Amino acid sequence: MGWREYFLSALIVNIFQMSLAFIIFVFQNILPLNPQGFPGLNLDLAFMQVISFATNTNLQHYNGEGVCNNPPDCYPLSSMPGLSYLSQMTAVQFLQFTSAATGLCVAVAMVRGFVSHSQNMGNFYTDFVRSLTRLFLPLCFVAALIFVGLGVPQTIGGYQTVTTVEGATQTILVGPVASLVSIMQIGTNGGGYYGANSAYPFQNPNPASDIFQILLMLLIPTSLCFVFGQLLGKRREARPIIIGAYSLFALDLLLAFIPTYGLGRGIEVRFGGFFSTFWTVVTTAVTTGSVNANLAGMNPLVILSAFMGMLIQSAPGGKGVGLMYMVMYVVITVFIVGLMSGRTPEYLGMKINARDVKFVMITFLVHPVIILVPTVLAYATGAASAVRVSTGSTGFTRIFYEFTSAAANNGSDFLGAAGNTPFFNISTALVMFIGRFAPIGLLLALAGSMINRKRSTEIGLRTDSITFTIVLVGSILLLVVLTFFPFLALGPILEFFQKRVNGF
Amino acid sequence: MSIKNEVKRTYGPALRLAIVSMLLCGLVFPLLVTGFAQVLLHDQANGSIAHLNGSNGRSVGSYLIAQNFSSPFFFHSRNATLSASGVDPDITLQDALSQIRRISAVTNITRSDLSSLVSQNIERTSLFFGDGYVNVLRLNLALIHNFQTTYCSTPPLSYCE
Repeated sequence: MGWREYFLSALIVNIFQMSLAFIIFVFQNILPLNPQGFPGLNLDLAFMQVISFATNTNLQHYNGEGVCNNPPDCYPLSSMPGLSYLSQMTAVQFLQFTSAATGLCVAVAMVRGFVSHSQNMGNFYTDFVRSLTRLFLPLCFVAALIFVGLGVPQTIGGYQTVTTVEGATQTILVGPVASLVSIMQIGTNGGGYYGANSAYPFQNPNPASDIFQILLMLLIPTSLCFVFGQLLGKRREARPIIIGAYSLFALDLLLAFIPTYGLGRGIEVRFGGFFSTFWTVVTTAVTTGSVNANLAGMNPLVILSAFMGMLIQSAPGGKGVGLMYMVMYVVITVFIVGLMSGRTPEYLGMKINARDVKFVMITFLVHPVIILVPTVLAYATGAASAVRVSTGSTGFTRIFYEFTSAAANNGSDFLGAAGNTPFFNISTALVMFIGRFAPIGLLLALAGSMINRKRSTEIGLRTDSITFTIVLVGSILLLVVLTFFPFLALGPILEFFQKRVNGF
Repeated sequence: MSIKNEVKRTYGPALRLAIVSMLLCGLVFPLLVTGFAQVLLHDQANGSIAHLNGSNGRSVGSYLIAQNFSSPFFFHSRNATLSASGVDPDITLQDALSQIRRISAVTNITRSDLSSLVSQNIERTSLFFGDGYVNVLRLNLALIHNFQTTYCSTPPLSYCE
C-alpha cells in the first residue's frame, strides 16, 4: 500500500470499530451480560467514549462500576452512568486492543518509509491482524492471568452483596477486570474498569501489581525505539531516540521529585507517596493516563511534570505514536542544525526538503492548536464554570489538563464523571480525534514521500552521535516550553507558588 | 485512482476486519481469560472474598475492599474520603499501633498480645515501601479468631460461627 491507502484503511477500519462499540454502549440496557441493569449511555457520552478508546486516549466521563454513593459500602449503588460487562469487554477492551494495534501498525509503516529500498508502506490488514494475534493477545493473556494471581478479579458472575463484620450491607464490585488491566497497560491505553482507575484495589491490589503495571506500560514504547534501529538496519540510529526519550523522562522525574512526599490525601496506603508520584510521571511520559492516586491531591510540580510528558509526547510516548513524534522531532532538529551550520539538512542520507519541513511543522502545530483553543473556549463559553472548577489557577489547571490529556491521547483527568456535559463530551471527542489521526496522516505522508528518495553515501550530519542527541533534547524542550509556557505559568506553576505561600 | 474509489474499495474488508477483531478481542479473549481464571485462581478471580472463621463461615466482604468499622472493639479503616479509591483496605503500621490502647481498654486483651497480632499481619512490602502496612479486615478477622471468647461472649458482640 502507498501511504494514502494505508492511512485510509486504518481510518476506515477504526471508524467501523467505533461504530460497533457505539451501538454496544447505547444499547447495553437491552444487550446481554448486564446483571447490574445499567441503562444505555447518552448519545454524546457514547460518541465521546468510542473516540476516546479508539484514539488510545481513554478519557472517561463515567464510572464504569456505577456510582458508589456511600463509600465504602456502595449500597445501594446508583447506576448512572455505569457500564455493563458486555460494554466493558466488547466495547472498551475491544477498542483498547485495536487502538494499540493501530498505533503499532502506523508507526511501523512510517519507519518502512525511511528504510532504504522499501517499495511501499506494507499492508495495513496484514500488519493489524499480526500485531493482535502475535503480540497483543498472547502477551495480554499471560499478563491477565498474572494479575488474577495478584488479586485482580475476572468474573462475569455479577456484583456480590455481603453483610460486613459489623452487620452493614456492602456491594462488592467485581467483573472482568484483569483482562482489561492487561491491555490498558500494555497498549498504553489507560482507561480503567473503575472510576478511580488503578487506585481502586481490585484493579491494582498491591505493590507487586503496581510495579508490574508500570513495567507493562513502559514495555512497548521502549521496545519500539529499538525496533526503529532494527528495521532501518542501522541500530546506531536508534540511539538518539532511546537516549533522548529517556533523558526527557529523567527530567520529568527530577521535576516531580523536587518536593518530598508522605502519605497525603488522595494516596493509597499500599502505594505511599513514592510510587504514586513515580506512577504519575511514567503514565504521562508514555501517555497511558492511568492513575493510582487522586490527581487533585498531588503537588503542582508533579502535575507540571505530567504536563511535560503529555506535551512532549515522546518521552518515550505512547506505543507507536511516541516513536513517530520522535522521528518528527529528529527531522525538525536536522532542519535547525542545517540552518545553523548552513548546509542542506539530511537524515539517513536523504535530503530534507521544504515540503518535509512544512509537514513536520504542521504536525507539531496541531498539538498546541487543539489544546489551547478549546481551553480558551471552555472559559469563553462558560462551560468551565458549569463543571464547577474554580476560577483560580487550580481550576485553570484542571481545564488545561483536560484538553492536554485529550490531545496527547493520554486520558487521565481531573473532571472524571463531572466532565459528562455536552460541551466537554463533544469538544474533547474532536480534540482526541484530530490529536490522533491528523499527526498520523501527516507523518505517514512524510514517510511516503521518503520512499525511493535518493540517498547519498557521503557522510553529512551524523544523527547517531551524542552531540546530536543533546541538540535533539534541547530542541524538543525549547519548542515545547516556548509554545506552552504562558499556559503552564497560569496553571500549575502559579498554583505551586500560591501554595508555597499559603501552605499546601 | 481517486480517493473516492480507494475508500469504496476498502469498505468490505474493513467492516469484516472490524467485526472479526471485535469478536476476537472483545469476547473470545476476555471469556477465555475468565475461564482459565475461574478454574486456576478461583478465589482471586471472584474478588478475594473474606469469610468469618475460616472458609466455612459466612462471607463478610473482600480483603481488597475497605469496610466500615466503628465499634471500639476493632481496628478502624481510613476515613473513606482520605484515599483515592474511597475503599482503601489498608492502614499504616503506625495507625494500627495507635489503636491498640483503645481496643485493649474495652476488650481486656493485653497490649502486647495486640501488638504481636499486628506484627504477624504486616503485609509483605517491597524495597521502596518503607514501614509496611496492615490490611484492616484481615487484622480484625485475626482478632476475632484469636480471641474468640472475648468476641463471642460479650454482648452485643457475636462474631462467631
